[in-house]
Amino acid sequence: MIGLAFRSLRKRAGAFVASFLSMFLGATILMAFASMLDTANGDNVTGTAKSTLTTMASVVGGWGLLLVVFAVTSTLTLSVRQRAAEMALLKSIGATPAQLGRMIVGEAAGLAVVAALLAIAPAVLAGRALLGLLHDTHQVPGEVSYSFGPIAVAMGLGITFVSATLAALLTARRATRVRVTESLMAASTGTAKPSRKRLVFAGLFLLLALDEAIVTCTLMRDKGSDAMATSGQADILAAIGLALLSPLIMRRVTGLLAGPLRMLGATGDLAVTNMRRRTGAMAAAVTPIILFTATAVGTLFLQATENAATRAAGVAKTADQKGIETLNLVVIGMVVLFTAIMLVNTLVAATAHRRREFGQTRLAGATPRQVLGTVALESVILTVTGVACGTVAAVFTIVPFGIARKDSPTPDGSVWTYLAVVALAAVLTGATAYGATRRALRTPAVNAVMP
Amino acid sequence: MSRNKAVDQAGASAPHGEALRLEGVRRVYGAEGNQVTALDGVSVSLPAGSFTAVMGPSGSGKSTLLQCAAGLDRPTGGRVFVDGAELAGDNEAALTRFRRQRIGFVFQQFNLLPTLTVMQNVTLPLKLAGRKVDRRHARAILERVGLGERLDHLPAELSGGQQQRVAIARALVTRPRVVFGDEPTGALDTRSARDVLGLLQEAVRVYGQTVVMVTHDPVAASYADSVLFLADGRIVGHQPQPTAEAVAERMTHLADEVERQRAAAGANMAGANR
Ligand SMILES: Nc1ncnc2c1ncn2[C@@H]1O[C@H](COP(=O)(O)OP(=O)(O)O)[C@@H](O)[C@H]1O
Ligand SMILES: [Mg+2]
Repeated sequence: MIGLAFRSLRKRAGAFVASFLSMFLGATILMAFASMLDTANGDNVTGTAKSTLTTMASVVGGWGLLLVVFAVTSTLTLSVRQRAAEMALLKSIGATPAQLGRMIVGEAAGLAVVAALLAIAPAVLAGRALLGLLHDTHQVPGEVSYSFGPIAVAMGLGITFVSATLAALLTARRATRVRVTESLMAASTGTAKPSRKRLVFAGLFLLLALDEAIVTCTLMRDKGSDAMATSGQADILAAIGLALLSPLIMRRVTGLLAGPLRMLGATGDLAVTNMRRRTGAMAAAVTPIILFTATAVGTLFLQATENAATRAAGVAKTADQKGIETLNLVVIGMVVLFTAIMLVNTLVAATAHRRREFGQTRLAGATPRQVLGTVALESVILTVTGVACGTVAAVFTIVPFGIARKDSPTPDGSVWTYLAVVALAAVLTGATAYGATRRALRTPAVNAVMP
Repeated sequence: MSRNKAVDQAGASAPHGEALRLEGVRRVYGAEGNQVTALDGVSVSLPAGSFTAVMGPSGSGKSTLLQCAAGLDRPTGGRVFVDGAELAGDNEAALTRFRRQRIGFVFQQFNLLPTLTVMQNVTLPLKLAGRKVDRRHARAILERVGLGERLDHLPAELSGGQQQRVAIARALVTRPRVVFGDEPTGALDTRSARDVLGLLQEAVRVYGQTVVMVTHDPVAASYADSVLFLADGRIVGHQPQPTAEAVAERMTHLADEVERQRAAAGANMAGANR
């Protein structure tokens, strides 16, 4: 099975590009920040500099771990789902679930090692740049010199390997548990109901987010910037909760919009039927939009509120506050990067998967423009739903922090910041879906439907 | 242009006009230097209300012929007329609009949309064409093919034979002048194949439609009014009132003949090279 894993890796490199990219970027970020620990262990590093470096490494490292697991799981799930037919075939000729599981995990582990090794060089550069940033903002004295050592390598390789394997195990369990005929059916329609476990986890994450919000409003009230510690993650927790609920949300949205969309003629009609039958794929596509919007809006407005409060108090920022601001921006950068990869990957994979369906629609009499129109409608609905859910999740961070920091639930910051986030989400979704569909339409319809 | 229009109208009123005409149709695949001539100047004329089978060895150009005639592919040279109107247009959208009004197509692999129900699949061509969806008509056609009870099923819930009958209903729903089938029984068991052939025959005999069907099965070909034989991209024979035995015999000869010709051509080439 391991042999098969490597053959499969080589043959279907395309399906693994996104998984590889998220592992590679994840390892780069992890090692760059972990090298701050190596740097903190240097000879002439003392007191505040040491603690700044350590905080930076552990906070971002923790975030990185979470993001890598999430991104790798989502990209791997897709690449496995794309190969549902191949999996079903392997099962039908007698591969046991355990063998398939070993194949999936083997692929992921192999990829992770290669990705982490390749990430060392860029991580050294990124770490050096990060320390430069800390020097320039006087958070760390200039005589502290950069060091990339055993901690960075061990953490980078270890975390990437463990999180990729973990993600693969999760994926494999799900992929191999379905029976042969079921997976053949699911491969053609792709309608999976959210499991009870998924709903329980969704409830858990939303409760945690609510808990953080309440703690921020009560216990952290008038504690100044410290309120960030509890309110900062509420948006992500709420976003993950909503993302887990996304199959239900997409179904509800489809139900609500079915009537109005149908009035748009055949294009709207096709969009509605597709969304009905492909809730799973739609939910997968809306997830990164929710995460993207929630973290970007939540963190940007949190920081804007914090800045406004400091300004109102008429004091200069301390090194600590500056450090937190840098951290916030780094976290947003990371989240934006990862969710963008996830979003593009999900849409490209989902669209490539539909090449045949597009061909069949064209043979039934659809012009290329009608196919593009259907995809455009679906993208609009995805973006609007994702942005709406993401904004709701961001409220869990912004409003409690406003109440705690300056007794007002309305955040500071410009409406243009919000619109910029929304525009970025819309452009990413729209451009990717359009480009991928155009590509799929280049194959003549008769060839596109060849199995 | 005005002539075409006249023919068009005549065709619409009198069912016994010409449904399909190909004039010197050529189709060459591949780039310069590595070209395959799939169709080498094919000319045919098929009257409205006829049922024609196209037979020939594998790779003789049957699928290409059908796709060029049905506006799914554009010929490299020559002209195609469906129901008196020339199949022209320089992009996919134009060809699609041409097909919507005149042509139905049935594939070996059914090509139903997996996410749509039987009824939705059948009415899809009407919706895409922006025509009024006459559900009574669609239901009547589905009853005709024996699937009146399965309107809300998904294709994956039907057998191959049933799926192909849905595909036939979908091809007939727009009331096209010509229905093409590329090995429509190729993926079916004998019984389902017989049902499908019976339906195509009925479309011709009862509803006056024109059917052109590629097949490699002599029994399937015997359902047609006449058989065209294709070899190496050319029409090499025609047999009216085919029986399965006669067609089978002809095919055996054809295979031998092609073999001999290819051997001769190979010998010539070898001679020329030397
Ligand atoms: N898309 C294509 N590109 C290149 N060559 C093709 C293509 N489609 C068909 N051909 C070639 O054209 C010839 C006729 O093919 P086809 O019409 O499919 O034959 P048939 O249906 O009779 O088996 C064959 O030699 C085939 O290899
Ligand atoms: Mg063929």
